[in-house]
Amino acid sequence: MPNEKTYYSLEAGQNLVCHKCGVHLIKGNAVFEYLDNAFPVELPVCPQCGFVYVPEELAMGRVLSVEKVLEDK
Amino acid sequence: MTDHFKERSTRDYHQKQLFSKEDLERRESLCTHEDPPFCNAACPLKLDVKAMLAAVSDGDFAKGRSLMEFISPFPEILAWGCDAPCRKVCRRSEIEESVNIPAIERAIMQHSMVPKAKGLLKLRKKQRLAVFGSSLFTLALAADMAAKKYPVTLYTEAEDEMDLMRRCADLPDEILQRQLPLLRKADLKICYSTIVDRAFLENEEKNYDLVCGAEYLKTDEVDPVTLCDDGNRVFPHAEKKYSPILQSFFDARRAAVSLERIIQRIDPHKSRPQEGETESHLFTNLTYIPSEEAVIENGVYSREEAIREATRCIQCECVECFRGCAYLRAFKRYPRLLTREIYNNTGIIMGDHMMNKALNSCSLCGQCTVTCPNGYDMADICRAARENMVDTRKMSLAVHEFALLDMLFSNNEGYLARKQPGHETCRYVYFPGCQANGIAPDTVYETYRDLMNRKEGGVALMLGCCSVIAKWAGRRELYEEQISFLKEEMHKLGDPIIIAGCPTCRSTLREHFPEVIGLWDVLEEIGLPAGHETLTNEVMIHDACSARNDAATQDAIRRIVSSLGGTVKEGTWSKERTACCGYGGLVSYVNREIASQMSEECVKEDPDATYVTYCMACRDRLKRQGTDAVHFSELVYGISADDSPGLSQKRKNRKQLKEKLLKEDWKEETMEEKPAFTYELSEEVRQKMEDRMILESDLLETIQAYRDTQMAVYNEADETLTTQHRIGNVSFWVRFQEEENHYKILSVYSHRMTVRTR
Repeated sequence: MPNEKTYYSLEAGQNLVCHKCGVHLIKGNAVFEYLDNAFPVELPVCPQCGFVYVPEELAMGRVLSVEKVLEDK
Repeated sequence: MTDHFKERSTRDYHQKQLFSKEDLERRESLCTHEDPPFCNAACPLKLDVKAMLAAVSDGDFAKGRSLMEFISPFPEILAWGCDAPCRKVCRRSEIEESVNIPAIERAIMQHSMVPKAKGLLKLRKKQRLAVFGSSLFTLALAADMAAKKYPVTLYTEAEDEMDLMRRCADLPDEILQRQLPLLRKADLKICYSTIVDRAFLENEEKNYDLVCGAEYLKTDEVDPVTLCDDGNRVFPHAEKKYSPILQSFFDARRAAVSLERIIQRIDPHKSRPQEGETESHLFTNLTYIPSEEAVIENGVYSREEAIREATRCIQCECVECFRGCAYLRAFKRYPRLLTREIYNNTGIIMGDHMMNKALNSCSLCGQCTVTCPNGYDMADICRAARENMVDTRKMSLAVHEFALLDMLFSNNEGYLARKQPGHETCRYVYFPGCQANGIAPDTVYETYRDLMNRKEGGVALMLGCCSVIAKWAGRRELYEEQISFLKEEMHKLGDPIIIAGCPTCRSTLREHFPEVIGLWDVLEEIGLPAGHETLTNEVMIHDACSARNDAATQDAIRRIVSSLGGTVKEGTWSKERTACCGYGGLVSYVNREIASQMSEECVKEDPDATYVTYCMACRDRLKRQGTDAVHFSELVYGISADDSPGLSQKRKNRKQLKEKLLKEDWKEETMEEKPAFTYELSEEVRQKMEDRMILESDLLETIQAYRDTQMAVYNEADETLTTQHRIGNVSFWVRFQEEENHYKILSVYSHRMTVRTR
């Protein structure tokens, strides 16, 4: 779905490697889901095993604040 | 994992009314904070006396004047001729002389200017009015209607302005003279020297849409509410309740309302504002009001004298619940408004539940019910709202999940129930409570040994949680399940008498078990053990909120403290007025900021004093706040617990206590599962985990999952690995460095959202 809205986009950078597959992570399509809501995002993803990396700043920042909003819906 | 922990959307069409309309109104009516002060309520003209006095005490005489002009077109006449029903009900009169309100009104008139501005531009209305007469009633009525922008003609027998004023009020010319600018400003057409007789009236009547005021026109009795006769004309009322001047202004104002209704072709009886004096139930606590001498009025008050006298106003308001409750103060709402907003919050189907945080931040301690003169029960409302939102699936699991899982931990991994070794039957069971087990395991251990040795009849042991956590969270089903579990377990022990170590456990278990006594009751009976500590100083007692209405327990603790040698200094906020430490109602999990404020509130009278508590959670929270707090059992057994164990340490303590007791008393070895790896945590990471409510067990499980799957991200820049593992409803992330079987933990974080590729 090329036209689908993306709520957040994060470059994979050069330094992130999937420990299991031994390949560099690339910017890939992912989705956050919580309480029947889904947010398409672009995050560093392993092209082989599909491991999605959520950095600490994102988890404790945007993700946490969106969780709080949804919990009070 | 049971169904209780299945995360689901809070957007649900289930609806359940929190309270019936009558119940809601009954509850709200108990809060008198919004009731008017007695002076305002006594004024038939609805002068905001309190605001006026506040303005004068601030030196703002112009504001004082504008408040008076709002209720009367000739405020100075009112100030000189009012018999001041407000003054008769002034609460200061219960201490000393009441505030001299009319004298302050006179001073306002003397020391402020008639405003030049005409106010908001209003469109002139079409209906023309004729007012006949030369009394204050007719003049005030004409002025009131002119202020409503009706073209008004006043027909008077008076020869000129001064003559008219003299006929209206029996006051010195000097005062009346000052009214002339107001009369000119009043937008009135005045026809002087008019001989008003029946013929004249009948002749003029056809030129107007409405005529009123003259006695000649009166055809029948005047209605006491509308002041109308049966021909829809208005007249002053025959019954005179107030001084002539006040009565005239009051009648004119009521008549003006009626006239406007008649012009609008509405029944003048309908939709009238509340008129005349009203009843107020406002509570004003006079305990804290210092005495202040009245200022004698010698002539008219000078500005300074008026300010001084106005400062004597108590500014009546009921703030009793606010005084001791950090929660209400933080949300800046008195119970009446808070109740309405919480009620509305439970009714929202789609949209933001703005009051979730508020209804989950009450400690449910019941202090307001004691401090409120009418016994307002905010705890019951917040608890009912939580239950309602859980029942209608609108309460997010995230709010209380950590605490609920902690309760289940206490009743599973941390749970232990055994009869006293060598006893077939036990007359008692010691139930220390989950907080004591987690915070002071060594004290609990020693207490149980002492009870086994000295209390006759056999004392069984039950380490667990009384389930109050589920009750506080509003999870009734889970609460019932846990209580059933405890009942079955108690039955297995032979339904012994419960010796509760914690006042919250005691009050919770008392609702379900026939006999529950306190550890303090037993210690009073068997006496203090040898080796207890001796107090040499004065101490304060922080009473547990769950023992608020339990004077026997409060007294028993005081006697024990005395037996230990301590002198008890009683504070204002002790016994039934005590505040919650911030643990109650799960506030510390939901709103840490308010929980901290609650802890501070408990020691505000003397932050440097030693506080003896009899609830381990209180001891923990006060100590965390930096207060010198000690649980009475620590003194009794001379064993001091750790300062403030963290969330993980509390769980570890419970487990270790269970293992130690099993090993030493029941000779049962437990196989401790040790991880197959070692790890190191800096204090900084430990604190981060505490703040984020992440347990060490979550961390270890995540590392173990990594060891099993090798799923992680390697960062080439800092040579660290980051792995993720989902436990229940939470995804845990650990950033670490690996050296064979050793892990150096660099950071731990979590989120509740799930993430996957698409």
